[in-house]
Amino acid sequence: MSSNNNQPVLEDVSVIVAGQGGDGSLTVITMLAELFRHSGLNVYTERDVLSRIRGGHAAATMRAFTGEKYCIGSNITLLLALDQEAVEKNAWQLDSKSIVVYDDSGGPVPPDLLPEGIRLYAAPFNRIAMRTMRRELYKNSIAFGVVGRLLGLEDESIRETFTKRFQRMGQVILEYNLEALGLGLHLADEMGIHEGEGLYRIEHATPEERLLIIGNESVAFGFMAAGGRFFTGYPITPSSEVLETLQKWLPRCGGVARQTEDELAAINMAIGASLTGTRTMVATSGPGFSLMQEGIGHSGSAEVPMVIVDCQRSGPSTGMPTKPEQSDLNLMVFGGHGDFPRIVLTPGHPEDCFYLAAQATNLADKYQCPVYIAMDQAISQNIATVKPFDLDGLAVETGKRLEKEDLEKLDAYKRYELTEDNISPFAAPGTPGGMSLVTGNEHDEWGLVSTDPENRIRMMNKRMDKIELARNELPRARHFGDPDGEIGFIGTGMLFGVILEAIEILDNDGLKAQYLQPRTIWPVLEDILEFIDKCSRVYVVELNAQAQLAHLLIHQGADSGKLLNILRYDGIPFRPGELVKRVFEEESRFMDNQKREAKAQ
Amino acid sequence: MTTQPHTKTFTPSRPIWCAGCGDFAVKGVLEKSLQNMGVAPHNLMLLAGIGCSGTIQNNIECYGYHALHGRVLPAAIGAKLANPDLTVVAAGGDGDGYAIGAGHLVHTFKSNPSITYIVMNNSNYGLTKGQASPTSPTGYRDNAEEGMDAIMLGLSLPSTTFLARGFSGNPEQLEKLMDAALEHTGSGKGFAFLEVLSPCVTYYDTHRDWRARVYNLDEDEGFDPSNRTLAFGRVLELREEGRIPIGRIYKGEHASLESLIVNRDELPPAQQKIGKNGHGKHYEKFIKSYLG
Ligand code: SF4
Repeated sequence: MSSNNNQPVLEDVSVIVAGQGGDGSLTVITMLAELFRHSGLNVYTERDVLSRIRGGHAAATMRAFTGEKYCIGSNITLLLALDQEAVEKNAWQLDSKSIVVYDDSGGPVPPDLLPEGIRLYAAPFNRIAMRTMRRELYKNSIAFGVVGRLLGLEDESIRETFTKRFQRMGQVILEYNLEALGLGLHLADEMGIHEGEGLYRIEHATPEERLLIIGNESVAFGFMAAGGRFFTGYPITPSSEVLETLQKWLPRCGGVARQTEDELAAINMAIGASLTGTRTMVATSGPGFSLMQEGIGHSGSAEVPMVIVDCQRSGPSTGMPTKPEQSDLNLMVFGGHGDFPRIVLTPGHPEDCFYLAAQATNLADKYQCPVYIAMDQAISQNIATVKPFDLDGLAVETGKRLEKEDLEKLDAYKRYELTEDNISPFAAPGTPGGMSLVTGNEHDEWGLVSTDPENRIRMMNKRMDKIELARNELPRARHFGDPDGEIGFIGTGMLFGVILEAIEILDNDGLKAQYLQPRTIWPVLEDILEFIDKCSRVYVVELNAQAQLAHLLIHQGADSGKLLNILRYDGIPFRPGELVKRVFEEESRFMDNQKREAKAQ
Repeated sequence: MTTQPHTKTFTPSRPIWCAGCGDFAVKGVLEKSLQNMGVAPHNLMLLAGIGCSGTIQNNIECYGYHALHGRVLPAAIGAKLANPDLTVVAAGGDGDGYAIGAGHLVHTFKSNPSITYIVMNNSNYGLTKGQASPTSPTGYRDNAEEGMDAIMLGLSLPSTTFLARGFSGNPEQLEKLMDAALEHTGSGKGFAFLEVLSPCVTYYDTHRDWRARVYNLDEDEGFDPSNRTLAFGRVLELREEGRIPIGRIYKGEHASLESLIVNRDELPPAQQKIGKNGHGKHYEKFIKSYLG
């Protein structure tokens, strides 16, 4: 094998594979991710699919890099386009430095589709697959040979990854795929792309120990690690992996994960389990989340601990099920009828999902109220390398629990006893001496229904004040960038990685910026308001049409004159470069306004 | 049946039902049956729905829970799966169970958890002043629809294991049915469904009508409750004759939900100790599978 030392060392590469749904774009991307990870790089992948099993445009993107990054980058290195639509739909992400590998079985790429000067490699993968192997689906493995060579991967390591992946599906499938890969490597030779002569040189490093995981799986593990033992859900994109992960793992440690007949059953079954003192969670998205509202309000009023994972997707109604959005914020913070306490946490990366899920599980138990984990489709489903979770550092705190011996020492046990910290001790069913009534009706300390006005005020205040008490221990925001930076950014969920990279680009362009990533959005903590005070203006970046987060911050005392909105609700995730472009547009508009105002005075 | 001598817990309140309401008989019989079956109050979780009948948990010494309208079954199933050692009894009315909660009834028949479900059927909405319910006959307050029979619904699902109907006007038989239901769930055989004809004296007094129309299958020598086909045919026949079948209508066998999904090699969810190592010995294995 020849090696050309003039090639740059691979430090940051982004690859898109696009075609029709069912073409296997995701399989190619997942295998590429595995390959790069074995070479010691970190990875992040994203998928863009229609909510259909087959058909319709589908794309998956992978970024491999050294160091820490939490999103797909601004520059796409290579697009593997399995048809013409794949080029049409993804051309916006390409620039003159990008490379396109195109399946020209159906004809050449129309000349004006691609940016000027782009490097194009065309080969009829589909035709070769049909002619030689009689099955269209082998086109991926053929194309893999060409793409792998271009990216500087070694033939042998590609073969190894193929073996690992396809062995599970049986010897025959493995052999066919290896044969197809061989055809691809041969084709690469014919195209003049020889082994070791790709675009990059991959410097092999011993991979640091990393999990390759999606946010939905991390959330499931965080819950389990904090003693979560009961889960219910109804399949819905993009939250189903929480259900699937827990169905697989929870029973092994004595827990129960159950798919119910609908979301009403899911939340109410979870409430029933929580009543027994079991740590309980539900996960859902959009329409299912709306259905759960009554149950969540009930958990607030009856003081039943509950963790609710909301994997936000484009709404309203059925919306765009596979697209990320952050438009359920209002429903999480203000939803449900009547007044009840709730806490809303929001992770920015699959790693954060683990820790916040564990914390949410503790908080729900301690404060006996609903605790949300606000995810978005990208956080839920994008695969990322994350550091192994720190189990030793994990705090598992039990709530105020009374066992038989504790009860024996008491004169009386009242489920809703008024206490100094507003939290009433809990005795689980089955414990002698702890008989009690739990209800969402307004009740007295015994749990007996009451409409007495004074009791009502006491009980309402007791419930609502728990949140004030919780404030001190809620997850704080994380600060990044130049603390003296003039402009600030606030954004949650998948925007974490994007903003982080955008402020680097801005810094290189001479604009000093800082970023605050809130991890608790309800209640709104001081840290966010102080950050806004400190900046001269703050861009609140959100994936929704109504600027829900900005409005929430203003509602909680932020200076509305300082907040500028950057909103997106087309279902497409931001790339850092695009965000920077939007910021410069806003900045020049802002400057013009300033000038105009100065003149007017 | 003893409670902790020293700790005072809530005092069961007096029922709020109208004098003469059928629900009184249900409460009396339930208390008696719990005693007959030796269920200690601290092991009893009594969950009730919304409606007149949905206040019964306030009147009995227990761990009581007042569910959302129509959601008593999922809540009861959640409690049972989290702690299979509890005696879980769900109670509610025909509106709660057959209208707003009908979907859950079908799925509870289907999944067969070992919980007892008592439906106090009064064929109207008493709490909201007498509107038509799913079991109201055609013509009641301009009701255009046919009343439904939940027992026949239960018979149509192959996983049902216990279907019975009692009558508040026949408390002796009701007690036998209630004992049998608690026995069925207590021995982990699955879902015990017990509908009780429980007249609403205030808005729709069916007492005399029902007394005249009930047909006691327990006294019918030719009837065999272990034969689903026979049971279905007989119930249908009696319905067509304008009679209401009561008694043990069906008893069959099917694995209970908790026996299928709760891992008995470990402590059940509610009995596990939560602490620093609450994640248990399995956790490292889970993480390993993601290290690749
Ligand atoms: S309204 Fe009817 S069902 Fe309700 S308590 Fe009175 S008699 Fe019983």
